[in-house]
Amino acid sequence: MMRNENNVFLSVRDLNVVYTSGKKIVHAVNGVSFEMKKGETLGLVGETGAGKTTIAKSILRILPDPPAKVLGGEILLDGTDLMKHSEKEMLKIRGEKIAMIFQDPMTALNPLVTVGDQIIEGLKLHNDYGEAEAAQKAKELLEMVGIHTERFKEYPFEFSGGMKQRVVIAMALACEPELLLADEPTTALDVTIQAQVLDLINKLKVKYGTSMILITHNLGVVAQTCDYVAVIYAGKIIEYGSKKDIFVDYAHPYTHGLFASLPSFSKDAPRLKPIAGSMPDPTRLPQGCAFHPRCPFVIEDCRNGEILLKEISQGHLCRCCNIQQKG
Amino acid sequence: MLPLIETRNLSKYFRVPAGMLHAVDNVSFTIEKGKTLGVVGESGCGKSTLGRTMIRLQEATDGHILLNGEDITHVSGKKLKEVRKKVQIVFQDPYSSLNPRQRIENTIREPLKNSGNYSRSELKERASTLMELVGIDTRLRQSYPHELDGGRRQRVGIARALALNPEFIVCDEPVSSLDVSIQAQVLNLLMDLQDQMGVTYMFVTHDLSVVRHISNTICVMYLGEVVEMSPSKELFSSSLHPYTKALLSAIPSLDIDQPMRPLPLKGELTSPINPKPGCRFFPRCPYAERGCSQEPQKLEEISAQHYVACHRVREIN
Repeated sequence: MMRNENNVFLSVRDLNVVYTSGKKIVHAVNGVSFEMKKGETLGLVGETGAGKTTIAKSILRILPDPPAKVLGGEILLDGTDLMKHSEKEMLKIRGEKIAMIFQDPMTALNPLVTVGDQIIEGLKLHNDYGEAEAAQKAKELLEMVGIHTERFKEYPFEFSGGMKQRVVIAMALACEPELLLADEPTTALDVTIQAQVLDLINKLKVKYGTSMILITHNLGVVAQTCDYVAVIYAGKIIEYGSKKDIFVDYAHPYTHGLFASLPSFSKDAPRLKPIAGSMPDPTRLPQGCAFHPRCPFVIEDCRNGEILLKEISQGHLCRCCNIQQKG
Repeated sequence: MLPLIETRNLSKYFRVPAGMLHAVDNVSFTIEKGKTLGVVGESGCGKSTLGRTMIRLQEATDGHILLNGEDITHVSGKKLKEVRKKVQIVFQDPYSSLNPRQRIENTIREPLKNSGNYSRSELKERASTLMELVGIDTRLRQSYPHELDGGRRQRVGIARALALNPEFIVCDEPVSSLDVSIQAQVLNLLMDLQDQMGVTYMFVTHDLSVVRHISNTICVMYLGEVVEMSPSKELFSSSLHPYTKALLSAIPSLDIDQPMRPLPLKGELTSPINPKPGCRFFPRCPYAERGCSQEPQKLEEISAQHYVACHRVREIN
């Protein structure tokens, strides 16, 4: 994207991913490009099926092929293209340079292995640790995420949801990765536990200078954790900018619709203003702007051709051919 | 005005190997006709069990449920069948609450058929009316649930609940699995239906912004007990119980200039199995003192219609 090329840490260029299902082709990610600098947090926001998780999994190269197929694109981490790495080289990168926190802590952990051993596994894989050394390090990690080391030898079922997610975070941070992919890390958690986990992630991010891609559909979580935000719709970035660009000066009708659908805490409105209709079928995406069938500001130009992501102010990009009409 | 539904000291316990799990403990409230009571709390606080017990999907351990002033806690047989027509539920997960092998029209027709009051042609007509009412295109009548998206599936669940013109509907997290844009559509639908038909809701959710929007009164639960109950707006403007305060401050704000305050409470839910007699929130409460662990907390009316179960409520506010 159009931000300054210096000290770019991660650069995703024109990523395209499809899933095949029988004879149907699901267009999950359609030409996504973005850049991140070291230490930044980028929020990927969008509804179910927008392609957020597919983007993250493409970066780690853990998409199951088939059914998924990366049709094209580059993922440059510190200038080297991850797409060109062999599987063996990727093994070295996963966990050590890039780690992922999955949405559901209940299924991300192995139920048959103690949490201590699960943390040790990653540590030993990427470092020259002996048994005792690795165990010591794993205990430090548990303490760092606020779990008593007495629970080192317990199994995942003995932990609550919030505790399990802390274990997953400890595992992800074990080798001090440079990039953390957090896929809905708090969606399965209650609000008070969510607040604790977000606080923890924010502190650890500062401590290690980790860059993070945070995937979520919760706009409040984005407001509290991210520096930059990309709004995704039907596999495309439809708006990108700083947190202020998106939360205060949002321009795309879809972003506008997302904010308008939320019930407010302070204002009283008898009715909510939902976005009409539902997400388009990803096997038959509409021509032109994928949002046009639901857009209240649709004009003839929206229905044809490729709508480009345009810079509407410094660093604020929007994919809409009719933004002047936004009410 | 006579309340439509009322609970008096309603309790539901489950026997588990470790002892007695107090899912719902001594809950009393009333809901007036055409109004909505929101029940909020974190997972495991007993809010869904409360809803299911109120409409007799589970038997109460203790206490009473009154529908239009009549005790329905232990009615059975024909009488229970009458009650079932008046109380309905919309479930959280529109993916698992619809029969995957049944076309949606049949799903909506089933309660009508079971009531025995409709002829074949009336069935078809009523099903079409219901589909139009909840905003599902009638051309989808022969579709199976897997062919619909989450929002439409939830509309089918709502149509099914409305089929027999119930007086009371328990909405158990009906929008939690939906995306925000679709969530707003379904919330508007539920509120429109209330305006049109005067149906009474109990709205169970963990989402505080949703509950503020839809409820007249909100009741906050913690480990099976009601800790605070008040008119909806008042709960947000002047919450009194330490748990409610914590819950409200934990919501990540959309205001980017308002950073999250550190949460005043530590730890997680304690076990609801064989709870100790004192305040159940005591182990996590920032205002706890020795007395809190001794005496059970009683719900007390602090101001008009605003009830709080905390004996330090006046000191800490």
